[in-house]
Amino acid sequence: MVVGSLNLTISLLEQTCVYLVIAHLLSRTRLFIPVMHVTIRLPHKVACYLIFSIFCIMGTYFGLKLDDSIANTRAIGAVLGGLLGGPSVGFAVGLTGGLHRYSLGGSTDLACAISTVTEGLIGGFVHRYLIKRGKIDLLFQPVRVAMVTFVAEVVQMAIILLVAKPFAVALHVVESVAIPMWIANTVGAGLFMRILLDRRVMVEKQSSVFSAKALKIAARAEGVLRSGFNEENSTRVARIIYEETGVGAVAITDRDKLLAFIGIGDDHHLIGTPITSELTQQAIANNQVMYADGNEVAYHCSISPQCRLGASLVIPLQGEGQQVIGTVKLYEPRTKLFSTINRTLGEGIARLLSTQILAGRYEQQMHRYEEQRQLLAQSEIKLLQAQVNPHFLFNALNTLSSVIRTEPELARQLVLNLSTFFRKNLKRPSDEACLADEIEHVNAYLQIELTRFTGRLSVDINVPEALGQVRLPTFSLQPIVENAIKHGTSRMIGDGRVTISSWCDQGDLLLSVEDNAGLYDSRPAGDGLGMNLVDRRIKNRYGRRYGLDVACGPNRFTRVTLRVPLEGRAA
Amino acid sequence: MIKALVVDDEPRARAELISLLAGADDIEILGECANAIEAIGAINRLSPAVVFLDIQMPMISGLEMLAMLDPARMPRIVFLTAYDDYAVQAFEEHAFDYLLKPTDPARLAKTLDRLRKDAAPQAVDVLGASARLRHIPCTGLNSIILMRLDEIEYVASRAGGVFIVGLDGEERFTELTLRTLEEKTPLFRCHRQHLVNTERIKEIRFVENGLAEVRTVGGRTVPVSRHYLGALMACLGID
Repeated sequence: MVVGSLNLTISLLEQTCVYLVIAHLLSRTRLFIPVMHVTIRLPHKVACYLIFSIFCIMGTYFGLKLDDSIANTRAIGAVLGGLLGGPSVGFAVGLTGGLHRYSLGGSTDLACAISTVTEGLIGGFVHRYLIKRGKIDLLFQPVRVAMVTFVAEVVQMAIILLVAKPFAVALHVVESVAIPMWIANTVGAGLFMRILLDRRVMVEKQSSVFSAKALKIAARAEGVLRSGFNEENSTRVARIIYEETGVGAVAITDRDKLLAFIGIGDDHHLIGTPITSELTQQAIANNQVMYADGNEVAYHCSISPQCRLGASLVIPLQGEGQQVIGTVKLYEPRTKLFSTINRTLGEGIARLLSTQILAGRYEQQMHRYEEQRQLLAQSEIKLLQAQVNPHFLFNALNTLSSVIRTEPELARQLVLNLSTFFRKNLKRPSDEACLADEIEHVNAYLQIELTRFTGRLSVDINVPEALGQVRLPTFSLQPIVENAIKHGTSRMIGDGRVTISSWCDQGDLLLSVEDNAGLYDSRPAGDGLGMNLVDRRIKNRYGRRYGLDVACGPNRFTRVTLRVPLEGRAA
Repeated sequence: MIKALVVDDEPRARAELISLLAGADDIEILGECANAIEAIGAINRLSPAVVFLDIQMPMISGLEMLAMLDPARMPRIVFLTAYDDYAVQAFEEHAFDYLLKPTDPARLAKTLDRLRKDAAPQAVDVLGASARLRHIPCTGLNSIILMRLDEIEYVASRAGGVFIVGLDGEERFTELTLRTLEEKTPLFRCHRQHLVNTERIKEIRFVENGLAEVRTVGGRTVPVSRHYLGALMACLGID
């Protein structure tokens, strides 16, 4: 009896092993994904039911026939179905397995059918109990699963004793199969859960490896393509992808040609050559990820028949408005399979690169815009330069017309001043001039104004000769001096005075223009365009700490101070 | 003879025009002024028939000055400008004469011809000269002060001229006539020789013979004559 029992136990365990091997193999397929987590979604429940029903029936088939009963491992399917799917799934699995068993006949057919349903329900109620307590994790403990199965098997034996007739036969059956079935089912259910757990850990590990790789690539490739989508930057990015993914080769193309190639086959995949691969051309034309795995979809290198690459993944890079601007290509040699991770990763990388290229283009546009703005400031100054205040011009001519008659010598001076003023205004070869030049320009202007406002205006220029060679942007002084007269002294009824001074301060040249009108604060809004331009241009050129500074004491003075570095261009 | 006044802030521009005008025997130059304040006084004193008026002048432009002239003594105006598109457009539109600087003698001759035919003053309102005054130019010892209306308590006309009395109690001389001030500002005529800022009236005291006195917030007294009392009361909303 004991020996028989032991033999039966070992045989049943052997059957269980086969059963578990099948479980293990199936666990590697997508079929098992729904049963790896507790789920409440109907499709998952259905999947759960189907899988465990199969195992339930399989348990019957893998059983050992003893007289007219079967020592089996059916309980594993029923209990696990209940545990993972809940009472409804447990009941359904038990019913399916039970009906199947019933159909096979024998003295314990009905008892086995009833007990299988009961086992499914036991699993289901344990499920419900643990879920309600929020102890989902306990469901996945192999030891706990084994214990539940053991209890279920004990109940099964009791049911057989109660239901199967005659009782003597039932007792005989139970005596011979109870211990082997308890052991086999308990161990089997525990191991089954262990397999599920291992599989789950593996999936999680894979996804964490995936995330880690993706993050690493993102971090290393950050900003590389921003400075331009060209061969040099593409090669750097391709190398990063190649090193991090471990694929056979990585290529990056624009719409027409190869920009980068790293890895197997770089002897004939030459940078700069036009795209010949049909796969790539299709990817570009259709804005579509193209994949040739080398088995179902044939892959042949379009350049060399000797190429060792056997599979290729082509992912389009998208620019503004989803337009394709190039591709990223991952290759594997014929000897290696394309891992799913790398395929998914490839698409992620392409998105990352697309974003970078876009950001880069945007930045370049900003840069160009900035340059254009500077050019504009430059041309605005030119315009301002050429645009002599017509008031000044016609009043000057009127003054000239007057003095020609009375003071021919003064008239001659005036003509000379006018020509100096216009010459400086019209012809400035470079956009930098020395202070002496600027003073000459301003002086010509002031001499004309002095003649116009005879007796009402005085001018004082204090610029040390030593500073004459300091360079500053052309036409920086003139607008300030013109303002001092136009918006200053010419609006006074009393005598106006303009003072220009220059000195050094901590490596900077300071130039101040002061008038005694003090009307800066009350000038109409929008005036002083020229001064704004001068300020902007100096700040653009030398930095924010340079430029113009205005101080105004109402009705007493307005003082504009210009600051530029003494040593030409600052960093 | 056509009596003319030349107003321009640039001495050489005045000299130039005067020299050009010297060629015409029937033009008599009464004088020349360097700013609007001087010009208002000169116009009031000399009553020229024609004023050659520069537009761009310090503090008060030629156009602003027109609003400060006594409408009853408005002379004919010939504007002078070196360059001013908008003003020139307005002159053309309203048939005002103007001369561009530097001035072409032939163009000046035309202007003089026109003046000889018709030197009647034109209505300067169309150029914005009817606009109410926001400031009253007053002549200080060495300066021109533009007084805001809310800085004025009352105005008194005496033998020496028109004086603006400010909140500070100081009396300042102005070239503007009482009539101009009455018409171009909200200052209220309360007496033949006085205008009062109604905002500054603190009390009205009645004295004998239907005469009254206004006491200002600043504690000064301004006489009110019988003739203007009713209107003043009505203005203040007192029956």
